Amino acid sequence: MRSWDSMEDFEAFLDGGGLVEPDDDMPDAYRQAVFRFIELHANSEYMGGLTERDWIAKAPGLTNKLTALAKTQDEIGHAHLLYMVAADMGVKTRDEMTADLLAGRTTFHNVFHYRAYSWGDQIAIAYLVDAAALASQQAVFKNCSYGPYKRILRRIIAEEGFHMRNGEELLLKMAKGTQQQHDMMQEGLDRWWWPAVQLFGPDSPPNDVLLRWHIKSERNEVLRDRFVQKMVPQLQAAGFTIPDPDLHQDPDTGRWVSGEIDWEALKAAIAGRGPDSERRLRDARNAWDGASWVRDALDEAAAVPA
Amino acid sequence: MSRAVPAGVVAAVRRSVSMVCDPEYPEVTIAELGILERVSSSDDGSTVRIELVPTMLGCPALDVIARDVTDAARAACAGADISIEVAFVDNPVWTPDRIAPSAVSFLAREYSVAVRRRSATASCPICGGTALEHRSDFGPTPCRSVEWCPQCRNPVEVVGRVEFPAAMEAAQSDPAGPAPMGAAQSSPVPV
Repeated sequence: MRSWDSMEDFEAFLDGGGLVEPDDDMPDAYRQAVFRFIELHANSEYMGGLTERDWIAKAPGLTNKLTALAKTQDEIGHAHLLYMVAADMGVKTRDEMTADLLAGRTTFHNVFHYRAYSWGDQIAIAYLVDAAALASQQAVFKNCSYGPYKRILRRIIAEEGFHMRNGEELLLKMAKGTQQQHDMMQEGLDRWWWPAVQLFGPDSPPNDVLLRWHIKSERNEVLRDRFVQKMVPQLQAAGFTIPDPDLHQDPDTGRWVSGEIDWEALKAAIAGRGPDSERRLRDARNAWDGASWVRDALDEAAAVPA
Repeated sequence: MSRAVPAGVVAAVRRSVSMVCDPEYPEVTIAELGILERVSSSDDGSTVRIELVPTMLGCPALDVIARDVTDAARAACAGADISIEVAFVDNPVWTPDRIAPSAVSFLAREYSVAVRRRSATASCPICGGTALEHRSDFGPTPCRSVEWCPQCRNPVEVVGRVEFPAAMEAAQSDPAGPAPMGAAQSSPVPV
């Protein structure tokens, strides 16, 4: 077990690329900040998994159903690993985290507070939201100071990369499809563009502890801008439009400049007042309650001596 | 008139497809993972056949792997009038023992993923601890279980489940080959 005499020493250790391990005597503020960050990530993977699950039955064709099944498994599995690491930090037990999530006392990403209406929405999510999530996770992984979290992120990133490739393939398929498919895809992009852009969050505060303690490695606005630069030309090349009337290219730099971002929509979503927040949480509670007999049966089986 | 695929072409295809990487772990090849079983030419010499062993029948990456393998094979015999056939075979059955030692150490080092080989206990890829505690049969993928290392307090994903080796051994010692999927369910159950 390592310990540090002062916050300055600890921060010098982090600045030198040091990895904090569970047995280390880390400053409490750091422990709390890392825990909250991992809990938010775990909640989001969990809620994302439930969203994906809705599409196992609805996805068109066996291949897409298998993909939805695999992605559901991925997201729930990621949540499982993240909750294990979070619970080990000693701030809250896993049961407490589950109870807080289902009661709406803790948060999850804005994108899971919206409703996916059509297959076009689902592809827009795979293409835009998975890409945005992957970009932020890569930025966290790059310089992440908490060892167990960094190790999980390595695998999550590998798996999310596979999701993104799938999203790109499906988008191109819709782009080359009938007019009806093209329109359905465009409607999906119209609904999901802004939530995906907002996923990166408002500009990072000047003295963000998440940056100082190497939990994040890049400022929110930098990641958001990189996302816009990458996505705009890709979508336009595929024949789609971006639902941002003020989007334009800077004549000097050639970079894409977004119109004003409605941060109130992000705040409302995260606070559980998004267009689909209530139904999502109700679904999550029903899923949890409906599976209680499985947990009970497993506990009973485990209690029987072999 | 029968003709033979030139031996050089078969070798070139084998070289090329053995460098195809796993879609999720782009640094590990399908040859190292034991997915690539055989590259051969058909009797009439018109086709190069590539046999792959799926790690799991329900693996969602199979389509992508098949496509990447086909592309690599086509690239290797560019210009030659040869068709490519990619097939997933159900015999032999994939086991974690098919993973090359180089890939086992790479997965441990880079991804903290452990491999449980037949008649061996898995150790923690992070600290080497051997007292892994089983937490769930499946994790983010159905081919890995989730365990907990109490020594370094990290979750560990393990390829190859505890009961996997014994089941595989039984299937492979059966001269008729592995039982078809679902055979166990269809046999009469003593009441």
